[in-house]
Amino acid sequence: MAHHNIVIPTKDRLFNLGEFSLRTTGNKITAVILAVGLILTIIRFTQGIGSVSNLSDTQPWGMWIGFDLLCGVCLAAGGYFTTVACYVMGMKHFHSAVRPAVTTAFLGYGFVVVALLYDLGHPLRLPYMFFFPGTTSVLFEVGLCVATYVTVLFMEFSVAPCEWLAAKFPFLLKWRKLVNATNILLTIFGVTLSTLHQSSLGALYLIAPAKLHPLWYSPFIPMFFFVSSMIAGGSMVIFEGMFAHKGVHHYMDATHMKEADEIVFSFAKAESFIMFAYFMIKLIDMLVQANLPYLFSGYGFWWLVEMFGFVLFPALVYAKGARTRDISKCRFAAVVAVAGIVLNRFNVSMIAFNYALPSSERYVPSIWEICISMFVVTMIVTAYRFIVYHMPVLYEHPDFKGAH
Amino acid sequence: MQKDKHMRNGTPLLLLAATALACVACLTNWGAGTAPAASLEATDSGAPSAMVIFPVGAKPNTEGAAMKPVLFNHLVHEKKIENCESCHHTGEPVACTSCHTVEGTPDGKFVTLERAMHADRPAKRENGNTPQSCVSCHTEQLARRECAGCHALVKPARNEEWCKACHNVTSNITKDDVHQGAAGKLVSERNEALAAETLIGRRDVSYLTPTDGPYKVKIDAVAEKYEPSLFTHRRHVNSLMERIKDDKLAKAFHTSPETLCSVCHHKSPLSSTPPKCASCHSPRIDPGHPERPHLKAAYHLQCMGCHTGMKVGRPLNTSCTTCHKERAPQSADQPGGAK
Amino acid sequence: MNRRKFLTILGSAGVASALSTARVANASGGTTTWPYYENSYGVLHDTTRCIGCRRCEEGCNKVNGLPKPKKPFSDLSVTETRRRTSAYEWTVVNKYEVNGKPVFRKQQCFHCNDPACASACFAKCFQKQPDGSVTYDGSQCVGCRYCMIACPFYAPGFEYDKAWDPLVQKCTFCEPRMKEGKLPGCIEACPIDALTFGRRSDLIKIARARMHENPGKYADYIYGEWDAGGTAWMVLAPSPEAAAASGHEFADLGLDTHLGNRPIGELTYGALSAVPMIVAFWPVLFGGAYAMTKRREAMHKAEQEAVAREAGEDVAAAVAAAVRKIEETQGRSAADTARAAMADALKAREAACAHAGEDK
Repeated sequence: MAHHNIVIPTKDRLFNLGEFSLRTTGNKITAVILAVGLILTIIRFTQGIGSVSNLSDTQPWGMWIGFDLLCGVCLAAGGYFTTVACYVMGMKHFHSAVRPAVTTAFLGYGFVVVALLYDLGHPLRLPYMFFFPGTTSVLFEVGLCVATYVTVLFMEFSVAPCEWLAAKFPFLLKWRKLVNATNILLTIFGVTLSTLHQSSLGALYLIAPAKLHPLWYSPFIPMFFFVSSMIAGGSMVIFEGMFAHKGVHHYMDATHMKEADEIVFSFAKAESFIMFAYFMIKLIDMLVQANLPYLFSGYGFWWLVEMFGFVLFPALVYAKGARTRDISKCRFAAVVAVAGIVLNRFNVSMIAFNYALPSSERYVPSIWEICISMFVVTMIVTAYRFIVYHMPVLYEHPDFKGAH
Repeated sequence: MQKDKHMRNGTPLLLLAATALACVACLTNWGAGTAPAASLEATDSGAPSAMVIFPVGAKPNTEGAAMKPVLFNHLVHEKKIENCESCHHTGEPVACTSCHTVEGTPDGKFVTLERAMHADRPAKRENGNTPQSCVSCHTEQLARRECAGCHALVKPARNEEWCKACHNVTSNITKDDVHQGAAGKLVSERNEALAAETLIGRRDVSYLTPTDGPYKVKIDAVAEKYEPSLFTHRRHVNSLMERIKDDKLAKAFHTSPETLCSVCHHKSPLSSTPPKCASCHSPRIDPGHPERPHLKAAYHLQCMGCHTGMKVGRPLNTSCTTCHKERAPQSADQPGGAK
Repeated sequence: MNRRKFLTILGSAGVASALSTARVANASGGTTTWPYYENSYGVLHDTTRCIGCRRCEEGCNKVNGLPKPKKPFSDLSVTETRRRTSAYEWTVVNKYEVNGKPVFRKQQCFHCNDPACASACFAKCFQKQPDGSVTYDGSQCVGCRYCMIACPFYAPGFEYDKAWDPLVQKCTFCEPRMKEGKLPGCIEACPIDALTFGRRSDLIKIARARMHENPGKYADYIYGEWDAGGTAWMVLAPSPEAAAASGHEFADLGLDTHLGNRPIGELTYGALSAVPMIVAFWPVLFGGAYAMTKRREAMHKAEQEAVAREAGEDVAAAVAAAVRKIEETQGRSAADTARAAMADALKAREAACAHAGEDK
């Protein structure tokens, strides 16, 4: 309908980069972070991991795994969460949320792999896991699933660039047709792979019972990671939507805007259910593992902060927000829920890891590690903006109206 | 016929012997005492100075077969130990065998005589006195500095020689004595007489002297990084003997002339010319005999084990050059050294 | 809604059952369900003998050609600080306090019977060898350092300072030397047999014999006999002097006694064995959900169509009746006009309905 104010690339004018050259604060910050990140990248790959990180023999996995990998994969769960809701469960009113969610999921996973290259000692040998498959390793399963899922997400996402470039390269229409035909297969394949590797990220820590604090270590940690990825998936859709409405509002069509609020409320309702369930299984697990005595310690207090402040509290706010149809409450809950997921992943990978070691041997990420993580996030945001400016993600392409 | 005759001859003899025994008993009862018993110093407590402890048992012992009885020198123990209740844990000064018999009795809570004497770690009593056994108390004595060095290395050997230190009474003891003793029926006069006889019959062992061994020993079989060690054999033996020369406990238990030697020169038969260490300990590590330390380790274990046990402050275990001087660096590079 | 709820419950039950059945299946094995080499070698580290001379560190450094440390090996004060193994120090001796007396313990790779690092490695760099050693092949290492997360003994180190070929490094049990028939460097360097080298099965007997022959000297436990599924390197600790101090002999030496007696890697096998179940079950589950959604949509559509058709027929009949009446009263042309107007009105309404349905 009201497409007149959205810049849609045409056959002759494929690119729409004007937005990046505007002298806005966002663009300036982006430029600075990208410049610093580039310098750090050069240092990292010429001087070794030790030159930019505080990683040690006792803490071989730090910020890059704890944030870029664990949080990155988890927060990109919106992809499977939305596609399953829309295509499998037939909630067609989520349709306009599918493309943005798939796009962020694809970018999220893509840059997880990029961030992983910083952390690996031999980044070029990453494919070795397929040549020398260590099938007993959880990491092998994670790697295999992530690699496959990135491919699936690429296929799901590829419809957008196809529509963008179809005017110039008509052969892309065939590919688009193929993807649309196999959509449901891709969705089901995607949710299977997501279930596997979201839970396996938790299963990675099953092998370190002596290192991870008992309040976070559990034989059911794979299940916790999977359930919490659903929390992250739904919350991230709301969370991203919030920013998208601020930053790229003028690239949204009427359908998208009309459906956006309804999506927030539906997701908020679902999230409040899932988060209550998550809270309960965590609580029961804590009791069953006889971890009650640990609650009366510093770590116990921290666990309670995580569980009450970042799981139960946002669950209640979600429930209230969905009931009273209060969009700002739902958004606030989404922010807290996302922060809670990040906190949980930080706890598992860094804060409650090596809990028994003296403080002198504990790990605190270096400023440069954090910078590289920020660099990766900024790259995701920039890539997202590029995609939104060029491809029909937040709007329907006039040439393919009603086709998807 | 023949038998009857014999009987006729034997009966008066037996009667005679019985009368004689009765007379002896009567005489001792009046406090006169027998000649050997009188020769022992009297105890303060009034208990006999020494007695023989028999393996008292309730079961009929027709064969008279029994564990060899033990001589117990009450006098020396009484002098060393202030509290009688250490051993007489019930507070009653009665004989051990009155409760602890070979089979155990309800009075002794079925703690057998063997356990009462040998338990190395008597269970701590929740209320009341925790008793000591012979072995537990003597093991405690081994923690004394002059004992601890050797006894950190020497382990109880369960052989005749080892047991004989205690289970050893005069050879004049008769089968009948043993029989009656085991039945708990031997009169105390006879018991004390036997004990006194045993005690007096004991002669001091003449130990090998420091001068019987070499003056110094050059230990060079494994010299590699360091110069050979010059071990002052005589000084070491002298020092050890000097410390325990007036120790009655040591004298009582060091029963052979070579006892002291056998600490370092272990695991071979006692001899004044023991085999070389390298006879068993190979200079190289032998994975086929992981239980046997290689020669270098064997030396270090013996030297350091004893020094640590005796709390000899120096040399430090890690101060290598106190015992063997460092070799010049160029010769240390040559592999093999003086093998 | 109800169906969805049911499916959610079904889904989570699937994960839980997969995990629990797998664990039970694993736990019911015999004594050695993992590869165990009967005649493998090991080392018995007797901390009551160790004097903390650091000769083993020196020997290790020498035979493996490791870089020279900042402080020489003759400087024994470094044992006072808590050090750990690293990529350049494959073994370290630290001083601990047990019963108020100094006790030294050598730290190195324990060479587990079923190593956690090998189980964790996704590029198969680690291998338990029949001689007892756990070897590492750096040529296929991706540098993910999951082995270091997995190792319960904090043994492997990583070359963080190298940019081009950073590798994980740890004690090799001098496997290359053992192949040549030589002994590991540290074993040869130990002057007092605090490190006894031999077949693992013999060492356990020796350890028990030492405890038997020296009552009260040792803690009644061979660390590594069963810990983490058993290790090639085992440790003896001095006994606690007072009853009050008992139970902490190994913790006092910095050894974790809560690792359990199963290989650490087995902890992940339950989760891994759920993979085929999810791969098989999920497509069926979600495919079924999709089929149900489709069917629901189709039924809904058919229902709507039937209602519309009925309504249409009713309207058509009413229109026909009305037109007939008009024809009777006002003539044919008026009837035609009315018919056309009614048809237009119906069309417009239908279009509006269709649009609304689409929006719903």
